[in-house]
This record gives sequence, C-alpha cells and structure tokens, in this order.
Amino acid sequence: MADTDEEYIGEVSEDEADNTILRGSRGEGSASRVKRRKQRGGAEWEVSRTWETLVEGADGTISSTVEGLLEAGKRKRLLKDTTPLQRGIIRHLILIIDLSQSMAEKDLRPTRYLLTLRYAQELVREFFEQNPISQLGVLGLRDGLTVRISDMSGNPTEHISAIQTLRDQDPKGLPSLQNGLEMARGALFHTPSHGTREIFIIFGSLLSSDPGDIHQTIATLVNDKVRVGIVGLAAQVAICRELCAKTNGGDDTRYGVALNEHHFRELLMDVTTPPATYSQKHSASSLLMMGFPSRTVEASPSLCACHSKPSCGGYLCSRCSSKVCGLPAECPSCGLTLILSTHLARSYHHLFPLINWVEVPWQRASRSSVCFACGIAFPPVPPKDQWQMAEPQAKGMSISSRYECTVCKNHFCIDCDLFAHEVVHNCPGCQSKITFPKKADRGLEIMDTSA
Amino acid sequence: MNAVDATEHYETSARDPAPALLTVILDTNPHAWALLEDSLPLSKAIANILVFLNAHLACNYANEVAVVASHSQKAAWLYPRENPATTTTTSRDADGDISMNGSSTNNNNNNTATTDGPGQVNKYRPFRIVEEQVTHNLRELMASTTGADVKAANSTMMAGALTLALSHINRRSIAWAEAHGGETAAETSGGGPSSGGRSSGTDTAERLQSRILIISVSGASDSAHQYIPIMNGIFACQRLHIPIDVCKLSGDAVFLQQASDATKGVYMSLTEPRGLLQYLMMAFLPDQRSRRHLVLPTRVDVDFRAACFCHRRVVDVGFVCSICLSIFCEPPENGTCLTCGTNLEMGDYGAKPAVVARKRKKKKRVNGPSGTATPTPTPTPGP
Repeated sequence: MADTDEEYIGEVSEDEADNTILRGSRGEGSASRVKRRKQRGGAEWEVSRTWETLVEGADGTISSTVEGLLEAGKRKRLLKDTTPLQRGIIRHLILIIDLSQSMAEKDLRPTRYLLTLRYAQELVREFFEQNPISQLGVLGLRDGLTVRISDMSGNPTEHISAIQTLRDQDPKGLPSLQNGLEMARGALFHTPSHGTREIFIIFGSLLSSDPGDIHQTIATLVNDKVRVGIVGLAAQVAICRELCAKTNGGDDTRYGVALNEHHFRELLMDVTTPPATYSQKHSASSLLMMGFPSRTVEASPSLCACHSKPSCGGYLCSRCSSKVCGLPAECPSCGLTLILSTHLARSYHHLFPLINWVEVPWQRASRSSVCFACGIAFPPVPPKDQWQMAEPQAKGMSISSRYECTVCKNHFCIDCDLFAHEVVHNCPGCQSKITFPKKADRGLEIMDTSA
Repeated sequence: MNAVDATEHYETSARDPAPALLTVILDTNPHAWALLEDSLPLSKAIANILVFLNAHLACNYANEVAVVASHSQKAAWLYPRENPATTTTTSRDADGDISMNGSSTNNNNNNTATTDGPGQVNKYRPFRIVEEQVTHNLRELMASTTGADVKAANSTMMAGALTLALSHINRRSIAWAEAHGGETAAETSGGGPSSGGRSSGTDTAERLQSRILIISVSGASDSAHQYIPIMNGIFACQRLHIPIDVCKLSGDAVFLQQASDATKGVYMSLTEPRGLLQYLMMAFLPDQRSRRHLVLPTRVDVDFRAACFCHRRVVDVGFVCSICLSIFCEPPENGTCLTCGTNLEMGDYGAKPAVVARKRKKKKRVNGPSGTATPTPTPTPGP
C-alpha cells in the first residue's frame, strides 16, 4: 500500500479540507491523516483494476469468465471456518454510535450519519435474529458527552424506534471515546457473568476529546472482561486499534475501517455472529434451569401473574402453572426462567455448523448427473483428455460444478451449497438417510441409485 | 414507447398473479399407516392427495407441485423426480418416453384407487404426469422397503424431507426469478449470511409463492432425534416466508405445531381422517394471497416443548448450558456439558437437603442404654 502513496497526492487537498475542522485536536490527528490517505489510495487502487481479471474465452466473449467469477464469489463467501468454537450466545452488547460533526461528511452516501443510522437499525434487527436471548443497548457520542439512546433490553423495536428518532437531529461537536466507554462499562457492570460483555463502536472521527486518561479506562475494561469492537469510517486510529487489541486478548481483528458502503455493512454484520469464548472464562459458566411453557387460550380472561392484567391467552409456567403474558420472562411466583424453546433453537446452527462441502474433480464426477437436492442437471463429464484443459479459475470453485458433502458423499449444485450453508444449515443428503450407524452403508447404497 | 418495443407485453405478464408452488411432504411411515388402516388406508389417502394436487394445478396454469415422501429410513422425491433409467431428460418437461413407461406400469398393476384404465387417455396431461409419477415412485419406494427396514426404524425422516423440499423451492424460486427478470434471484442466492434474512424486505407479490404442506402421521417422540435439523428447517422457512401447513392424521407432533406457528401456517389435527379430502380442499387449498381474506383454522394453543440433547426426551422444564444453550433433561454428570464440554456450575439443583447428623447421634445414645423395652419419646431439644 505504501508504494501508492506518491500517486495520490492529488487527494491531499480534499483531506486537508476535512482536517481544517479537526485542526487543534490531539497529536494523533496528524498521524492518522497520513494513514487515511493511504487507506483511500489503497481502496481506489483495488477498485480500478477489476477489468484486468476478465479474460476473453475461446469464443471471444467474457460470459464464461463472468459466470466463473460469480460462482467463485458465491463460493468465497461460503468457505468460512466451521470449527465448532465455543461461542458466547447470551450476549450483552452496547452499541455506541458516533454523532459528532465528522459524521456529516458525504464520503459514504448519502451521508455517514444517515447511512450509519440505517445500518444500525439493520444491525439491531439482525442481531436479535441471530442472538434471540441477548440484550442490547445503544449510546451516542455527541458534543464531548455520551447520550443514552436506548437502555439495555431484548426488544428490537424499542431500539429501532430510538435510532429512528435520531434522524431528525444533526451530528454535532466532538466525540469522547472515554466517556462512551465509561458509560457502556456502567451499563454492562450488572450483567451476569455467564453472558458476554461487548461494546461495539461505529466511529467516524479521527480524534477523541477525553476528560481523562483513556488508558486507565481501557485497563478497567480489560479487568471487567468487556470486549470492544470498532468500525472506523475514516481511517485507522491508533487508540482504536490499541483498544480493540487490549480488550480482545491481543487480537485486533475486531477493528476494521470501512472502505465503502458495502464493506461497512459487512463489518457491521460480522458483529451478529456470537464471539468465540476464550478459555479463561470457563469458570463463569453455569447450568440454568429453564422452563419451556406452552401457549394456552382460555375462554374467559384471567389475570396474568406478571402484570395483573386480564388476558385470554398466555403461557403457563411449566413448574407452578402461573400465567405469564409474554416470553421470555421469569415466573413471578416460582422464579423459573421461562423461555420459548424456538429462541434457543435459533442459535443451534452456530453450535453445530454444517461442514464445508468439497469440490469434485472430473474423476469422481461421473457418479452423479443431477444435484441430489434440487435435481438440476450437472454438465456432462467430458472425455478424459479434456480433464486437464480447463484449470479452475478461482480457488474453491469446483471444475465439475459439483460439490460433495464429505459425510453422505452426495453431490450438490452451487445454489444448493449456498442455500444449505447459509439458510437451512442442514445437509439434504445427511438428513435424508437413516441415522443409525449400522444401517448407514445400506442407506447410502439406496441414495446412490436414486440420485 | 413501451408499446413500440413490446415491453408492454412483458409488463402485463409480470403483473399477473405469481404462480404458486405447493410442496407436499407425505409421511409414509409404515407403522403409523398400519394403525390407520381401518379408517384411512394409505392408498385411499394417496387418491385424496392426488385430487388435491390436481385442484391446486387447476387454480393457475403455471402452478407447480412437488411431492416428497418422508419414509421410515429415507426421504425421497415422489414428484418431480429424475428417473434413474432415463437420466438425460428432466422430469419437469417429461415427454412421451417417461409417461409411456409410467402408464404401462400403472396399467400392469392396476390396483390403486385412482387409476381407472380407460379414463387415462383423456386426462389433462399435467394431472396425468403427476399422478403417474407419484404412484410409480411411491410403489417403488414401498417395494424397496424390506421387513428389516420396517423393524429397524419406526420414525420418519421429516428433517430430510423438509430440507429436500426447501432446496427444491429455492431452485424453483431462482429459476422463476431468472425467467421473469426479478431481483429476487440475487436476493435469495446472492445474499450473505446476514442478508439471507433480509429477503423479508422484498415484495412478496413478485416472487414465486411457495408453501409446504406436511401430511403427518407419526408421533412426536419419534422425531425427537431430529430436533435441531427440523428447527433449522423451520427457521429457514420463516426467513423465506414459506408457510408450513400441517395436516395431522394421527399422533401428536410437538415440533410440527411449532413449525406452523412460527411460519404462520395452518395446523389441523383431523378428528375424522376419513374426511381427508374435504379438509384438504377447505383448509389447505387457498394460497397465501387468498389466505389474507380468510379466517384460517389455526391452532391457538401451541406446544412449545423442546427435545433434550442427552436422552432425546421431550421436556417442558430443562437445564440449559449457559455457554452453548444445549438443553438437558437432568443435570449432566460431573456438571460437564455434553455438547461443549464446559464445566458447569451446578447451582443448587443437584444438592440434597442438608442432614442434621448431630440429632441422630443423640437419639442413638438415648436408645442405647435403655434397651428396646420401651421406646422413649423423641427428646425435645433443650433451650
């Protein structure tokens, strides 16, 4: 990236315009300005070269390459790590949004501010989709102070409407990272030890005007086992990297700087995956007794035990049969945690991830002519001498358009591969045959003939 | 302008109501059907279902059906299915060859309730293809089931059938969107793990309307070992806005109740299985668009119990590991989670009430010297 520095001198004028606002801030501003230029230069360098990867096919068109690139792109997203890591599924997250004047910039369309608010709402929705029994709170950094946008709760609509009201206001003043962290630490202080404590910051500024020593705050965060993740919108800031590294046990991958709108969104959505648990936190885990009540409907309304309001329907506590009107809740009479089992089940695919399917070379491709799951026809196997002709265009892409599950040995197409790994989290082949081990090979035989 | 380059033509066709894809998952568990033999034998049920499928096909010329069998030891396609003998032609545009084969087998062993020989020729072709393939493949499936299979397994592969059905729906949605130039293809196939759930934002009117009907006969305890895959399938349906309708002929299916509840489908437990066709026609035929205007027979009390990971029991009070949220019906041994291996603090759950040993000793000493002649009353503790 460093070698691109000279070529982008023309950009400096624009940067200087930005920095007139920020002048007079702390010393790290000038250092990050250089970094910022590099960052931008790097981004444009990558963007400007995409056509070079296109190669004309034998017939003079680029359609085959384009198709290959599309498939490779799908596949690249798929090939994620499937190691069953221990993950903290009961999460407590504080989302801190920068509401300072630097968010008014228009380098992300329409403005950093509006885009951040929109993505923050998506983040909240997706967060609760993925982490249904987690808690979230939202804070904002404005005028050197921290403003509370919404309190810790498990209700997504509350947060979304709170973020929505920010649209009418304008970003203003300077942000204070330290104030934000301290307030978030206070909010996370009472959370039970079996859940995670996380802070996620969307930070558009290149400075932080703090009342005290931020390093002290970082040390207390490390003590309290709070993990911090940051997405920068402008450039890398040294204190942000240090903050992420220190609170994540030396791993600074949770600090990212958005290159463009799409990348920004990707960085945000990464937060929704529960973080892996570090081994030193083992002692904090405990066994929780929970009830899975069933919903009942009564002919005549009765009072619920939680709010003393008359209602016709509700959930009966599985231990003491008191009626509560909503879940998740704690039974008011016996104290049992009541939860919808579907809430728990939603996160099971993180625990038992579907392993990645492998590419199938032509040698093994003749076993199947159609996709096992959807029945689409695969390209026929060419004669042997052509096997070596077409080398794979991209890593992870199968030359025969077939992808094989290593457990059930069935072949699938790219769309089913994608669908199975990203939406269903089931292997159609493995689920379709009997699970008893003694019958496994016979079941496989049947599969082969029918596929 | 549009009239000149004929785009108007496409626009009007796009404004037509989107066709509906109905996927029927038929539970063919032999054990459960044997119990139903008196009221509704399988052959009769198949005949009813075929009439129902035809009714669906007749609603719109572009409507599609698919049938998956969830058998005791495997899940298999009944329609559409790649014929192993003629692998080159896809069954969707099944031409003369396959149909001829199918009809010949049908005529040879003409024992199903639906096949009535001379009427075959004049039957509407889509009806005939579906009927022939379903009966042919079902017969094949039954023939491949040996006595040992029946003895070995008494459950049904509901999770596999659901996954197969979803894969097919995904394929057809992509194909339909491509053919009609919808952006939904990119939406369903191109979305990342995060944007997979974002498909909720797309306009439902522009997509292929898919729904799943499960005709279930097996009980709940049989499918407890498939709890996680079934739940995964349910959440996938929820994300893709595919309602799961459940028509319960016998037994009690905990997870299927949750399935129809979560996906806003219809759940009906038939008290009189003989009236299957009537239930199907009345409750399950309307598609998503019509359902907005109907009062649906849906179940209001839903069984939300879960299956434990250790013994596959269906429980309503369980112990949950705080790390991985695995459910156990009793605290695991040594407090070690069976899924993630974490050492769990047991809290007070396993603890026995503390026994006050001192008192018993005292009592013995009192009993000792006095012998067994007269049992002394329990000494009241002094102040």
